[in-house]
Amino acid sequence: MDFLQNIIASFISLIPVTLAQSLILAFVVMGIMIPFRMLSFPDLTSEGAFPLGGCVCGVLMAAGMGPLPAILIALLAGFAAGCCTAYIHLRFRIHTLLAGILMMTMLYSVNLRIMGRSNLSVFGAPTVFDWVPLLQPGFPASKIVMAGLFGLVIFAALLHYFRTEKGTAVRAVGANPDMAEAQGINVWLATIGGVGLAGAFSAASGALMVQSQGFADVNMGLGILINGLAALMIGEAIVGKQNVLRQLAAPFVGAVVYYQLVSFCLAAGMPPPDLKLATGLFVLAMLALPNIKRSRGPAPARETVRE
Amino acid sequence: MLEIQSARKVFYKGQADEKIALNNLDLRLETGEFGVVIGSNGAGKSSMLNAISGALALDSGKIIINGDDVTAMPVHKRAMRLARVFQDPMKGTAASMTVAENMLLAELRAKKRTLRQGLNASRLATYRERLSLLGLGLENRLDTRVELLSGGQRQSLSLIMAVGGAPELLLLDEHTAALDPRTADIVMQATVRAVESLKLTTLMVTHNMQHAVDFGHRVIMLDAGRVHLEISGEEKKTVTVPDLIGHFSVKTDRMLLAS
Repeated sequence: MDFLQNIIASFISLIPVTLAQSLILAFVVMGIMIPFRMLSFPDLTSEGAFPLGGCVCGVLMAAGMGPLPAILIALLAGFAAGCCTAYIHLRFRIHTLLAGILMMTMLYSVNLRIMGRSNLSVFGAPTVFDWVPLLQPGFPASKIVMAGLFGLVIFAALLHYFRTEKGTAVRAVGANPDMAEAQGINVWLATIGGVGLAGAFSAASGALMVQSQGFADVNMGLGILINGLAALMIGEAIVGKQNVLRQLAAPFVGAVVYYQLVSFCLAAGMPPPDLKLATGLFVLAMLALPNIKRSRGPAPARETVRE
Repeated sequence: MLEIQSARKVFYKGQADEKIALNNLDLRLETGEFGVVIGSNGAGKSSMLNAISGALALDSGKIIINGDDVTAMPVHKRAMRLARVFQDPMKGTAASMTVAENMLLAELRAKKRTLRQGLNASRLATYRERLSLLGLGLENRLDTRVELLSGGQRQSLSLIMAVGGAPELLLLDEHTAALDPRTADIVMQATVRAVESLKLTTLMVTHNMQHAVDFGHRVIMLDAGRVHLEISGEEKKTVTVPDLIGHFSVKTDRMLLAS
């Protein structure tokens, strides 16, 4: 019993830290969800855009720039990266997945170039988390409040946007590109803008992460994509994806639940090196489940993506 | 008014399997005219429709809609002027979106999309009213995702979406071919009602000779990428299915002799 108590005690003590982390990483999950679900464009750029945002933000902070402008510029860099992926796909008719792989590989060099070295400490520089009143800076509570606030604003803005006339048109591009075009929608513009937006979210997440952890590292994106995907799957399993509201809530719910699960596994003594294998198997299971169920009942809807 | 001026399109140019899809095709459709296009497989019907809608870029020639040259316009720009119903019910609608959202997309086809809320009460009421004309009960399923509708319901929805904004040109690409006879009849009746009441300039491709005889002002028969025969006026009113099929056999005989 002592053993179990120990696990639970260490898990509980980690909850605030993990919550802060998951609220920051929820933006990457959003950056994975938007192309994947709204545009049927499985985008891998986030694996490169996340560290890109971190590196840009880190360099700017080290140069003495304020935390918010640093995040905004990181966000623009991520937007440009996403636009490039979409453009590569549209212009050269390269498969969406390959376009993403190309982009994230090239971004690794870009990130190294931006920082000039593989990691950079910005510890002690002012961050957006210092702005939370009444709380001591550097503690999880201020991060939870700030990241949660950002998340809430983004969620509300996206919820409104995807219900507007323009937003409905963007979703149509994902649902049926040919039909969207025949209804007068500029498929190129919607795809480039949408994937760019996703890149911006991933980069913003990287920037917030750098401010939270106090350093930037070119390898900080390693495996972020599969983590984000796992979080998205969990979120969709919990809140569903039948309408815009649920689809947009899924990344946040998923990120929070997923990282608590990971934290629990680690507290229970799972060796950290096994984590990616476990995550990968989990995503595989979530994707395979509809196929396994097929032997009973009607055939499930297949994942349709643009190629 | 639609004008096609010596439209030419060659696939696999210079290769062994070179195929002339459109061979300097000329066609003129007056405003409010309903043309029915027939022809055997490979005659260029689909190529012609794709060239008009912008999905297929011409090698040479011009497409003119109501006096404006649209030859260089991309598909989404031409959509301001024309609407299309595809043969495949899956193609003309966004499956994972609701009936109301699809109607919204169609309503905005020729308009500027804003950052205002898309679906509102007055729009939903309009959609309900327009869908009720079909008599398929779609007006009560505005929140249903289109993928849950039957092929006939989806095609009827496509039609209502297409004729909604009274487009300058309506293209119907064998739009009843994938439906069972009864549903095909419902969709066809709805088509004729809409085309007549709105006086739409319409080009309908069909393989159904009875439809070619029964509907439209003019039968246009394509062969080898150009207009082979046109039947209009009094002749169109008296033409029969065997007459039309007779014109097909001329071609098959020639094909026989040539081979």
